[in-house]
Amino acid sequence: MDIDDILREVDPAHHAVAREKQDLQDLTRAWIAERSAPELLHWPSGGLFERINANIKRQIEKVEEMTGDMDPRTNFALIVIQTELERYKYLVRSYLRARIAKIDRHTLHYLSTDELRSRLSEMELAYATRHQALLHNHYLSSFLSSFPPALQNLNDTAGNISMIDPPDLESAVFIRLLRDTLVEGRGVDADGAMDGKESDIVILRWSDAKPLVEEGSAELV
Amino acid sequence: MALPLPPGLTHSEVAFLAEMEMVTVVPRQRLDSIELLSGKTPPLRPPRREQLPLWLALLLKKQRRANIVPPPWLHPTSLQDIIHKETKEDPAAFSPPPPPASSYRADVGRPGMVRRNDNGLDMASPPFRNSCTADALPGYLPYHWLEVAEALLAHAGDDMGAPAGEVRSLLRDLVEVRAAKMRSSTSALEGFGGGLMSLRGVGAMELAETRGFVLGVVDGVRRIGAAAEANRREEEEEGGFRNDREEEESDDDMGI
Repeated sequence: MDIDDILREVDPAHHAVAREKQDLQDLTRAWIAERSAPELLHWPSGGLFERINANIKRQIEKVEEMTGDMDPRTNFALIVIQTELERYKYLVRSYLRARIAKIDRHTLHYLSTDELRSRLSEMELAYATRHQALLHNHYLSSFLSSFPPALQNLNDTAGNISMIDPPDLESAVFIRLLRDTLVEGRGVDADGAMDGKESDIVILRWSDAKPLVEEGSAELV
Repeated sequence: MALPLPPGLTHSEVAFLAEMEMVTVVPRQRLDSIELLSGKTPPLRPPRREQLPLWLALLLKKQRRANIVPPPWLHPTSLQDIIHKETKEDPAAFSPPPPPASSYRADVGRPGMVRRNDNGLDMASPPFRNSCTADALPGYLPYHWLEVAEALLAHAGDDMGAPAGEVRSLLRDLVEVRAAKMRSSTSALEGFGGGLMSLRGVGAMELAETRGFVLGVVDGVRRIGAAAEANRREEEEEGGFRNDREEEESDDDMGI
């Protein structure tokens, strides 16, 4: 603990600022990671999205209140607030859409085990289950019902070939190291390892990068 | 509803991120603190310098409410220094990114920006690193260098402190030098068998430009070499007793 930490603790105003900045950084990092990773990542814990959604709602209410005010000075503040609001909403929207795209592509995969299900938020889980049920019903009524019962499953694993299509966890990603750490990567001809320095940008397979990202030593870029 | 884009940030998304970089402004008008979602803005009292995100600084600049102080690395001498580093000192690698200590020092005035975990590590990363403010170190290109430089030249060319044309031509040199490195690094991909490749010092835009190609090559090499890799892994796992078995197998082959 250094002097900054002590100062921050005794000053409530600083703490509030830190929280908002922190949320923005966390949201941005989550968005970049979700946009870059080949598979669906964990829904952020710690109530990040509840907080962000509540803040956005409050800000929209504030904009509505201020719109009636025709004072030129508050008018400019309003423009700034609205611009920021739009930027924030864009981040949230793009993040959610990137997740939905992954859920849509591999619905059965993300619904297949509890571990994978736990990555989805409550809403996403409801969406995925309902969507899959609708799809299955549609297939059943349009063609599946005329198949022999043994062939009606959509998640068959007979013949060592699974019908559930998982995302390619071996695809390459770019990561930035957030601290000095050993980076190991598996390659075609040989397995590599390097002493990574903070701020290094490394290309490697997602399956090798994942532990580093999860322990917070690296982030996707 | 689902996002139709392939994995990896696009150019416009990178530019959007770059607009979150903090820059230093000199206000020309008073402006009270505004409560934003990312925290309160500092009240602007000319001529006191304040730090604001780039998007807000550009908005103020367009309305002639503030001038933007260009970051020290954008100064012609600093750019020449970087070009020297890129071409003479280490012609193979990108010039190093700004050291973390400097961005932390620049941040002392505003403790909210930097998170340090229990090990005392600075976990903030671009664009939350204050590497484009007036306190940034000269001679180091931050991650979003190209986007920030372009935005400042386009909208705040008169604040540059040096002829904008000079800065622009130096930037163009830098872009070309680094683009050549990026291209030569893709030839290193040909033998991407090692599983790792470091691109220390690369910029966000440069990455966005080559991402599709580089990732395509790496994934392609992996798919082509998948069988060879599986064989190699098997061999490594079997390790010790592999020799005996190989002999047996070759005997069988001869028998056939």
